[in-house]
Amino acid sequence: MNALPAGDIAALLPMAVLMAGALVLLMSEVFLTSTRRGYQAGLTVATAALAAVAAVAVPPAGRVFGGQAVVDAFSTFVTVTVCGGLALSALVGAPWLHARGAERGEFYALALFAATGMCLLGSASDLLVAFIAIEVMSLATYALAAWMRRGRKPAEAAFKYFLLGAFSSALFIYGTALVYGAAGSTLFSDIPRASGPLLAAGLGLVGAGLAFKIAAVPFHLWTPDVYEGAPTPVTAFMAAGVKTAAFAVLARVLVTVWSGTGTSAVAIGGVVTVLALLTMIFGNLLALPQRSVKRMLAYSSIAHAGYLLVGVVSAGAAGARGNAISSVLFYLAAYTATVIGAFAVVGALERRGAPGEEPADSWDLTRLAGLARRRPGLAFAMAVFMLSLAGVPPSAGFIAKLLIFKAAIGAQAYGLAVVGVLTSALGAYYYLRVVVYMYMRAPEAGEEQLALSPALSVALAASVVAVVVLGVGPEPVAALARAASAIGP
Amino acid sequence: MNLLSVVVFLPLAGAIAAAFFPPAEAGQHRALALVVSLATFLLSLGLWFGFSAAPGAPEFQFETKAPWIASLGIGYHVGLDGVALLLVMLTTALTPIVVLSAWNAVHERVKEFMIAMLVLETAMIGTFAALDLVLFYVFWESVLIPMYLLIGIWGSDNRLYATVKFFIYTFVASVLMLVAIIYVAGHAGGTFDYVQVRQALQTTASAQRWLFLAFAVAFAVKVPMFPLHTWLPDAHTEAPTAGSVILAGVLLKMGTFGFFRYALPLFPEAALHFRPAVAALAVVGIVYGALMCFVQKDMKRLVAYSSVSHLGFVMLGLMALTAEGLTGGVYQMLNHGVSTGALFLLVGMLYERRHTRLISEYGGIARRVPWIATAFVIVTLSSIGLPGTNGFVGEFLILSGTWLGRLAHAPWFSAVAATGVILGAVYMLILVERVFFGPMGNAKNSTLADLSLREWAVLAPLLLLIVVMGLVPQPFLNPAKLPVDRLVTRFVAAEQRLRNQDPSRPPTIGTQPTPVLAGRE
Repeated sequence: MNALPAGDIAALLPMAVLMAGALVLLMSEVFLTSTRRGYQAGLTVATAALAAVAAVAVPPAGRVFGGQAVVDAFSTFVTVTVCGGLALSALVGAPWLHARGAERGEFYALALFAATGMCLLGSASDLLVAFIAIEVMSLATYALAAWMRRGRKPAEAAFKYFLLGAFSSALFIYGTALVYGAAGSTLFSDIPRASGPLLAAGLGLVGAGLAFKIAAVPFHLWTPDVYEGAPTPVTAFMAAGVKTAAFAVLARVLVTVWSGTGTSAVAIGGVVTVLALLTMIFGNLLALPQRSVKRMLAYSSIAHAGYLLVGVVSAGAAGARGNAISSVLFYLAAYTATVIGAFAVVGALERRGAPGEEPADSWDLTRLAGLARRRPGLAFAMAVFMLSLAGVPPSAGFIAKLLIFKAAIGAQAYGLAVVGVLTSALGAYYYLRVVVYMYMRAPEAGEEQLALSPALSVALAASVVAVVVLGVGPEPVAALARAASAIGP
Repeated sequence: MNLLSVVVFLPLAGAIAAAFFPPAEAGQHRALALVVSLATFLLSLGLWFGFSAAPGAPEFQFETKAPWIASLGIGYHVGLDGVALLLVMLTTALTPIVVLSAWNAVHERVKEFMIAMLVLETAMIGTFAALDLVLFYVFWESVLIPMYLLIGIWGSDNRLYATVKFFIYTFVASVLMLVAIIYVAGHAGGTFDYVQVRQALQTTASAQRWLFLAFAVAFAVKVPMFPLHTWLPDAHTEAPTAGSVILAGVLLKMGTFGFFRYALPLFPEAALHFRPAVAALAVVGIVYGALMCFVQKDMKRLVAYSSVSHLGFVMLGLMALTAEGLTGGVYQMLNHGVSTGALFLLVGMLYERRHTRLISEYGGIARRVPWIATAFVIVTLSSIGLPGTNGFVGEFLILSGTWLGRLAHAPWFSAVAATGVILGAVYMLILVERVFFGPMGNAKNSTLADLSLREWAVLAPLLLLIVVMGLVPQPFLNPAKLPVDRLVTRFVAAEQRLRNQDPSRPPTIGTQPTPVLAGRE
C-alpha cells in the first residue's frame, strides 16, 4: 500500500485535533478520580478553538484522498462555524449538566466526535465519505440526545431520533448505491456525467436522506419531539451543528449536479424549490401556536431550514451561484450564534422537577414572564436572539436574510423571495411573543432565584456580541463567506 | 467628524451611556435623556443654520459616505435635502419636549423608558438622513423596536394587543419593500446607494409598477392611508403620551417622507399610473377620518382619527404634483407634527390629572384650568387651519395646489378634501366645547390643577411655533423649495417619456395653463 501524501494527512488536522480532544476526555474519566469536572468544558472549548485554528492555518489542500474529500475555503468556513457552535454548546452544557448531576467526560467526548463528523461532512465530495461522516455525526448525536435517558420524554426523543435517523441513513446509502449503478462512481464530480431514471432515483433518495437531517418539510416530523425531549444544550448543538454540516454537503452535491448539463438538474431545482416553500410556510405556521418556547424554537429551526433552502435553490442559477452559496454560509454562521444563545436562555430557565417527575410546563412561555425585571441581562440577550431570528435590523439575522433574498432575487426566484419575507413576517409574531412575556408581563409569583454560572454568562455574551457584530459590521464575515463560495468542479 | 452623523448617533451614545447608570436612580436617567436630547437639538441647529437653500446649492448637504458592506454595494451614506432637514429638525425639537413631558408621567422603569426614547431618536433621524437604501431600511425597521417597547411596557390597559398589532402591521408591510429594494439594486448596477440608484435604475414598466406598490404599501401603512390605518387608533390610544406624540409627530411622517424621497422619484411612471387611486384614497381618508372623529368617546382616539384625516391632506398635496401641492404637503407634515403633538401632550396632561380620557368625564373645566384651556384652544385653531396659524398655510397650499393641478378631476378632489377642513373645524370645536366649556358636571374636576412650570416649558415651544409658522412661514418653506422643484422636474421628464410613446396622452403634471383656469372661474 502506498503511503498517503503528506498533504492528505495535513488536511485531516482539524478532525484529528477534535478526535484527540475526545480521546483525552474519555481517558480523563478513567484515570482521574476527582469529582470536579469543571475543566472538561474548558478542555472542549480549547479543543474546538485549536481545531478552528488548525483549519485556518493549514493551507487549503484542494482535493485529497483521490478526490473523495476537498479542503477548500468552503470546508474551512464550515469547520470554523461548527467549532464555534461546539464551543458555545459546551459552555452552555457545563452548568446545565452540573445542575442535574449529569456532567461526564463522555458527554463532551461525544460532542467532539459529532463535531468531527460535521467537519468531515463539510469536506466530503464523495457519497461514501459523506455517508461515513453522517454516521459519525449521527451516532454521537443519538447518544447525546439520550443523555438524560431516564425521563419519559428524553427516552422517547432519543428513540425517535435514532429510528428515523437510521431510516434516513438507509435512504441515503441506498441512494448512493443507485447513483453508483448509474454513474459507476460515488464521487460528486462524476454524477453529472450520468443521467437516466436510475440516477434520478438515486439522487432523490440521497436528497431525502439529507432532507431528514436538515428537517425540511415533509421530512421534519421527528424534529419537534426530539428537539424538545433532548437535553437543551444538545438541542442547541444539533440545531446549529447538524444543520450546518448537512447544508454544507447538500450545497456541494447540488452545485456539482447543477454545474453539469444533465436534464435532471432542472427537475432537482424544482423539487428543492417546493421543499423550500413547504418548509418556510409550514415551519412558521406550526411554530405560531406553540406555548413551549423550546418547541417553538424547534419549529423555528424548521422555518430557518426553509430560508437556507432558498439560498441553496438560488445556487441553481449559474449567475447567482457565488452569492447564493456565500449567503447560505453567512446564514449558517449567524444562525449558529443566535440559536445556541436562544437555547442557552431556555436551558437556564427550564423548570427542574424532582427526580422522575416531568413538569409539563418546563418551557412554557410563562417561565419567561417578567424576566426583564428579574434578570435584565438575560432578558436583553434573549430579546436580541429573538429579534435576530425574526430578521429585524440591525442584527445578524437581518443581514443573513438580506443576503439570502438578494441571492434569490439575483437568481430571479421572486416568488421564493416574496414568500420568504412574508413568512418571516409571520415569524415575527411568535418571536415577539417571547419579548412580550419577558418585558410586558408581570413575573409569576414565587419564582425561584436564577443563578447564572460564569460559563453560561460567557456563552451568552459571546453569542450576543456575535449577533450584534454580524448585524452591524458583517463585512469581514461576508467577505470570508464570499471567498468560500467557490465550490463545484 | 461629519455633523450629521454626530446628530444621528449622539442619542444612541446617550442610550449606551445610560445603560451604565443604576436603574434605581430615575432622576439621573431623566436628566441624562434631557441633556442628550437637548444637545442633539443644539447640534441640529448647526445643520439648520449651515444648510444652504440657495438655488445653486448641492442637493444633499452634510453628506458623508463610507463603505459598510462593500462586497454587496451597501454603504454608510447620509445627507440631507431641505425636506429631510425639516423633518430632522422636527424630530430633534420634539424629543426633548417629549422627554420633559414624561418627567412625572413615567415612574416605572424610567431607565428603560429613556433608553428606548433615545434609541428611537437615533433611528428616526437616521431614517431621514439615510441615502443608502439598505441603511434606510435598517433605520426604518429599527424604529419599530423601541416604539413597540414604549407602547407595550408603558401603555394603558389594552397595550399588548395594540403594540403587537402595530409591529406586525408595519413589519409585514415593510418586508416587501425589502424585496423591492434588493430588486432595485440588482437593476441599478448592484449598488444600494440612493443617488446612484435614482440615476441608473432600469426596469420595465410592469416591474416598476410592482416596485412602486411594494414601496407604497410600506409607506401607506406608516402614513397611515385609508384602508391601512386600522393599527393607528389602537396604537395611539394605548401608547403613553410620549409615545403618542412621537408616533404622531414623527413616525407618521416617515411614511409621507418615504413617498416624497423614494416611491415618487424612483418610480415616476408607475407613480403617475397609480396617482389617481392614491389621491382618491387620500381624499377618502380625509373625510373618513373626520367622520370617525364625531363618534369617538375617547379624546386620544379622536385625535388619532384626526391624524388620519390630516395625513390624507399631506398625501393629497404630494399626489397633486404641483409645486404648491408638494410644498403644502411638506409644510403640513411639520404642522401636524407640531399641532397634533401638542394635542396629545395636552390630552396627556388631563389624563395625568384625572386618569381618564373619556370626553364625558370632563366638561366646564376651563374655569378651573384656564391656561390648559387656552393652550388647547390655540392648538385646536392650528389644527383646524385658522388663518394666522400654521395649519392654514399648509391646508391652503394643498387645496389650491390640487385645484390648480392637472390631475384628472383635480377640482373634485380639492372640493371633497375641503369638506374635511369644515368637518375638522366642527369636531374639534365640539371637543373643546364638551371638555372645557358648559357647566362643570363632574365634581371630581373641581380640584384640577393648572399648568405647572414644567408643563409650560413643554407646551411653550410648540405654541410659539404654531404662531411663528403661521405668520412667517417663509423660513420653513425655503428649504423645501429645491427638493420640490427637483421632484416636479423629474415628473415632467417622466411624463415626456410617456408622451413620446403615446402622443395622445394628456399632460398631468404641473399647473393648469391660465386660460383654462380663467374659464373655470
